[in-house]
Amino acid sequence: MHLVQHRAAEFGVRGVDPQAVRMNLGAAVARKDTIVSGIHQGIYQALEYNQAITFIHGHAEFTSPHDLRVDGRQLQVEKVILAIGARPAPVPIDGLEQAGYLTNKEALRLTEVPASMIVIGGGYVGVEFAQMYARFGTQVTLLGRAPRLMRKEEPELSELLAEILRAEGITVHTGAEVLRAGRAVEGRFVEARVGDERQRFEAEVLLLAAGRTARLDGLGLEQAGVEPAGGYIQADEQLRTTAPNIWSLGDANGGLMFTHRATYDGPIAALNAVKDLGRSVDYRVVPRAVFTEPTLASVGLTEAEARARGHEVKVGVARFAHSGRAKAIGQTEGMIKLVARAGSGELLGGHILGPHADILIHEVVVAMYDRGTSQSLARSIHIHPTLSEVVKAAAKALR
Amino acid sequence: MKHYDLAVIGAGQGGLPAAHMAARLGANVALIEMDEVGGT
Repeated sequence: MHLVQHRAAEFGVRGVDPQAVRMNLGAAVARKDTIVSGIHQGIYQALEYNQAITFIHGHAEFTSPHDLRVDGRQLQVEKVILAIGARPAPVPIDGLEQAGYLTNKEALRLTEVPASMIVIGGGYVGVEFAQMYARFGTQVTLLGRAPRLMRKEEPELSELLAEILRAEGITVHTGAEVLRAGRAVEGRFVEARVGDERQRFEAEVLLLAAGRTARLDGLGLEQAGVEPAGGYIQADEQLRTTAPNIWSLGDANGGLMFTHRATYDGPIAALNAVKDLGRSVDYRVVPRAVFTEPTLASVGLTEAEARARGHEVKVGVARFAHSGRAKAIGQTEGMIKLVARAGSGELLGGHILGPHADILIHEVVVAMYDRGTSQSLARSIHIHPTLSEVVKAAAKALR
Repeated sequence: MKHYDLAVIGAGQGGLPAAHMAARLGANVALIEMDEVGGT
């Protein structure tokens, strides 16, 4: 929609009246639902086909380490793998419950584009939804508590992303601590301390995107002997909990809360639970991505993190503005920054803000997994004309 | 009372591969989900 509305003429497409372009959110949500239900059907079919798996729909609760109650049914189990995930973290903001708010879940079910939205949170969910709704036509205000968006990412990239979002019309405030929320005449209000000033914002809807936390309540974990710590389940390198017959994986263990980490953990937990293989998880190289446009994707250490760990580093930067392919597709914003050991050239981190960054990052991921060097990226032949040439350019620029 | 070698609680993107791998390894698995499969 964004491309059609704002850039049709630039690409030589006639007949588009930018003023007439509108989002039919109901239709977009219905399309999303069709895709998701197709995925669900595939999952159910695979489960039905698998005779060794009994699928039970219900809420499980431990009554002992080997006994589960699922909505009144009793199950006796030798071992258990907890794959319980996370949910939006409750936030102690005065008046928030009365004001009413959306989480990412509800925000994917709206059928009308809200006129205005305040997004609370400058992390993954906040940034992605802020841009999505802004492009649908919502007037978005993004309030991030940290001094910058995506606070753990390479500062140059996170600042460039904030600039791009602002240029699209999103009001971005960082270092904003939300103090109070409530009902306004039309919609909701939020009061926040932005810098030294107390400011009031109003919008039709609020979107709460201030982090996620494990869903531990109602599981009877104490009866199972599973001891949580700091709101998460404690699991060792082999994903075993404090109960000897119970393993835990994914978001509920805290740390790297990404779907791809849970998917990676799954088979390892199973190998250890079923065959006692003692496999350890290997989180040396876990990539991450923010699905904005341009996309932000990264792996490993930022330059500052690498220096803080005492590494002597070299840094290489390349910009998409110099790429023929980026010019051809009209997406020249963004850059790549690689961090490597000064002596050996071993790659320590890769940070990409640009078109298809979520794909491009994997070249760096695989290199880092094998403790590879920037030389292999710099010397290997890359296809022309591709965006991957920018990765090579960043590797060649290392110094 | 039903007996299982392994219960996997949660059929999201971590629970599903865990259950399938356990089944492949010969375990009799109960996969329990209170909401929707596939996770959020």
